[in-house]
Amino acid sequence: MQSETTTREFPLDTHNIHILCIDDEELALTLRKLVLEMQGYQVLTARSATDAMQVLEVHDVDLVLADQVMPGGTGTELTRSIKKKWPDLPVILISGINEIPPDAIYADLFISKVEGPEVLCAKISSILSTRRCSSS
Amino acid sequence: MNDTYKVNILMVDDQPAKLLSYEAILANLDAYLIKARSGREGLELLLKHDIAVVLLDVSMPEINGFEMADIMRQHPRFQKTAILFISAVRMSDLDRIKGYQSGAVDYISVPVVPEVLRAKVAVFVELHRKSKELEDLNRELESRVEQRTRQLQESESLLRERADLLELASEAILVRDIAGALTYWNAGAEALYGWARVEVLGNQVHQVLATEFPGEAASCESTLIEGGRWDGNLVQKARDGREVIVASRQVFKKDVGSILEINRDITAQIRAEEALRQTERLAAMGRVAGIIAHEINNPLEAITNAIYLLRNHPSLDDEARYYARLGELELARVGHITKQTLSFYRESQDPINVPIKDILDDVLELQGRHLLMNRIVLDKKYFTEGEVRGFPVELRQVFLNLISNAIQAMPTGGKLRIRMGTRWNEASGRTDLCISVCDTGTGITPEHAKHLFEPFFTTKSTKGTGLGLWISKGIVQKYDGSIRFRSTAYKGKQVTSFCVIFPGVRSVLKGSESIYHAVGDDNARVPLGYA
Repeated sequence: MQSETTTREFPLDTHNIHILCIDDEELALTLRKLVLEMQGYQVLTARSATDAMQVLEVHDVDLVLADQVMPGGTGTELTRSIKKKWPDLPVILISGINEIPPDAIYADLFISKVEGPEVLCAKISSILSTRRCSSS
Repeated sequence: MNDTYKVNILMVDDQPAKLLSYEAILANLDAYLIKARSGREGLELLLKHDIAVVLLDVSMPEINGFEMADIMRQHPRFQKTAILFISAVRMSDLDRIKGYQSGAVDYISVPVVPEVLRAKVAVFVELHRKSKELEDLNRELESRVEQRTRQLQESESLLRERADLLELASEAILVRDIAGALTYWNAGAEALYGWARVEVLGNQVHQVLATEFPGEAASCESTLIEGGRWDGNLVQKARDGREVIVASRQVFKKDVGSILEINRDITAQIRAEEALRQTERLAAMGRVAGIIAHEINNPLEAITNAIYLLRNHPSLDDEARYYARLGELELARVGHITKQTLSFYRESQDPINVPIKDILDDVLELQGRHLLMNRIVLDKKYFTEGEVRGFPVELRQVFLNLISNAIQAMPTGGKLRIRMGTRWNEASGRTDLCISVCDTGTGITPEHAKHLFEPFFTTKSTKGTGLGLWISKGIVQKYDGSIRFRSTAYKGKQVTSFCVIFPGVRSVLKGSESIYHAVGDDNARVPLGYA
């Protein structure tokens, strides 16, 4: 799931990759979007789990990056809904709380916010590379 | 016995006329007069009635008066019955009458003078009455004595029963005099404090038990002496130095000047409550940590992202980029700290391969400040990564307990030695992973060693929960492993070592290599505790 060696062998063309970013806090969401855009990703945003599902219905998305703690539906709940409809769509949950919920295993990755942007980006590209490899 | 008590007088004569005349003479004596016409009839009547005086004619046919008297004297019941012979004055008769040594015997000569007869019989009647009274009194006295004896026996057995009860009680029951010298010490006290009765009687109770009062000792004592009683918890020391907490009730008996004391051991209860409080505190801390983590980690991520964007912005010159980099490095430190202290991550469902090396380094890093403060020299050598399949939090708990115990045992400096390596286990045919934690601290007495892995056992008085080693052992056993320990004197130092063994794990080194003898550090050649 998290093999990091593949990233160098298959450099990603991030410009065609769409990531949906979900967080109820606007500032955090904007900054995360900017960080991802700096890597060249196309970033869509949503402010809640409900919004996220609507975006997914309309847009073609390659990866979902969602906050765990959100009012009106947690990240893991969102993950379950997504996996039901699009089982192959990778979901990364990012969390500021210090407890991993039992249903976190539905997500492809559960990562602490404290890990920082570099680790996060490395994980994203690693997951996407693995997908690319297995699908091509 | 009352005045109307009437006695029986038996009159024996073969001549009815004489009987009639005696009857007339004795009529006003207030006695029952029983008549017999012969010695035989007289004897029969004697057996039927309680006779006070026998008026006996000496000369009778068949059985004469002397013969009847002889028969009477042979019978124990009549040995003391008064006999008044009526006889003609003959020398031989008089001699014979005097021959009756025992019992009341008299005679009256014929012809009978009525006044003399009445007077003599009256004396005998009175004598009989008196002896009867005496007898009754005696009987009453005897029954009273018997009753009193029975009462004494009953109260004695009651006392003995109570004394037995005192010995049965699991509480420590002690009595001391006003000066504090012990006068009683029950079996419960022997069991609780470990001092035998003969060792402590006469000694000062508070000296023997090193009693710590809640507050001033003098004020507790004065409450007891003035108010008559005192209740409260005391901290005392048993013979083996073990600290016991007792709920004590004391009563001062003014009349005898002694103090009665009942102490119940509540050490385990207090420890359990303390542990519960500790657990609750930890749970509360966990909740607080969760909230803090959320509140810190969220802005922390935002700031980190902002600085990341700033640092990588093309408009920045090298100097500005350098400043942003500094900020980023400092933020990384904050992130590291929150990960260390605020991440009580719940274990994922499946066990993972945990390198014990990482766990040990993690714990040592956390304890770094304590190592420094206690001026402890750390000497660690890993001969393997020590991978164990399991849950990091559990494994971390085990080594956190062992390492923090070791550090606490060395408040004034020492050496903390940590070794990890593998060992070939002949019995199981596998290579075990051994991790040892040694300290040169205060050591563990053989007495404490027995209880080391029991719940609520602590030598840290009120500071420890007494659960650390118990939990550690439980975790290690879950991994089919074991914890061994040894505390020995080595080169004038007390060396305590705990060794955790996980069975049959993969390791970097070959199992047959005897790694523990290949330690290159000269200062560290202390024996390990799992030989």
